[in-house]
Amino acid sequence: MERKSFLKSLLLGAITTPALLTACNKDEDTITPSEGTTDSGTGTVTNPGSSSSSCTVAPTETEGPFPTKAPASYVRNDITNARSGYKMTANITIGNTNNSCAGLANAIVDIWHCDAEGNYSEYGGSGMQSTNYQSVHFLRGRQTTDANGLVSFTSIFPGWYNGRATHIHVHIYNASGKSLKVTQIAFPEGTGSAVALVNGYAKGMNGYTSNSRDNVFSDDSAGIELATVTGNTTDGFELAIKLNVAA
Amino acid sequence: MCYRKVIDSNSSKSWDKLVFEDSYTEFKMQSQLYNQDKKFRNFAELLQHVPGAEKLHFLVSAAVIGYLQQLNEIVPDILNNLGKHFLRFNKYQFEIINSDLQDKTKHQVAFNFYSEPLVWHDTIQNYLLVSEKKTGEGEVLTNLFQLQPYLNIYSLQTEA
Repeated sequence: MERKSFLKSLLLGAITTPALLTACNKDEDTITPSEGTTDSGTGTVTNPGSSSSSCTVAPTETEGPFPTKAPASYVRNDITNARSGYKMTANITIGNTNNSCAGLANAIVDIWHCDAEGNYSEYGGSGMQSTNYQSVHFLRGRQTTDANGLVSFTSIFPGWYNGRATHIHVHIYNASGKSLKVTQIAFPEGTGSAVALVNGYAKGMNGYTSNSRDNVFSDDSAGIELATVTGNTTDGFELAIKLNVAA
Repeated sequence: MCYRKVIDSNSSKSWDKLVFEDSYTEFKMQSQLYNQDKKFRNFAELLQHVPGAEKLHFLVSAAVIGYLQQLNEIVPDILNNLGKHFLRFNKYQFEIINSDLQDKTKHQVAFNFYSEPLVWHDTIQNYLLVSEKKTGEGEVLTNLFQLQPYLNIYSLQTEA
């Protein structure tokens, strides 16, 4: 019994000692405003910061994990996000018309296109997104051109939707993010083309809008927006195009 | 529960600052798609005049998803009465409140964090006593937290 209470008082001692220590520290920490220190400049605080006005306890947790700089989730080669469809590699070369169309290095290239059913990634009705973060921006990607002006994406062959021919959207920026060109890539069509092979996936080709009737591509008689598409439904398709911009 | 975290040029925490910087950069990039004649300078004008400009909420969100992941599904700022983060989220929504291509200080964005459903046990003054849904018997761990600005009860459901 006696030993027990002795231990108890020891424990109590162990608990109270730090408390005393903090009490001492508090005294030392007290800031005493000193006089005559107003000669370090004048002016009004312009950035007072913002503190929470709510009456809750302050955070008392270990700091961290520390945030680190993270690139936009667009920055990736493979933009498939488990969307099903025939594999397609898109090789896009950006040329500079102000330099005899030589490859433009360090240009930022965004592409986006619809899935096999003809749908784009976007916010749903409620606007809520699940924390399955990556799949949210499916079939959208960003790459920076190499020394030859080339970017490469792995994706699926796009489906189609009412009123439009098969296409890929492209937005080209210079290295500092200034828009140089917003355009679209058209696909060859007709017998033996990739569009004919894919045959509109489950949807078929009934009601498909051909390039010549498409409101974006119909004026492109020179085929500037038309890509070269090779490959097959087993191994996938390869798309290649050169887009020239004034940079 | 839904917590709406507003981030603007006055935000001082490093996570908030990274979100502010990167969302503004992305806004400047993506908005050019809807502003090819450079007629508009702020987000409100784009929304009002350009069809589809509301997609910018979604398009810009890709710039901050990396930061969301760094939260490990724990709602920031909201603390229980012990001063600890306790609220987990599995859904979110990112929104641009305002932005201006010429004036960065006008840029303001928000995250809405939607938590898993919680079981409400009691209200003690302006504190709520809640616990996570638990299957099985035994002790239930609870959290006591205060109702505060930008925190909302998103929806209610009655246990069957």
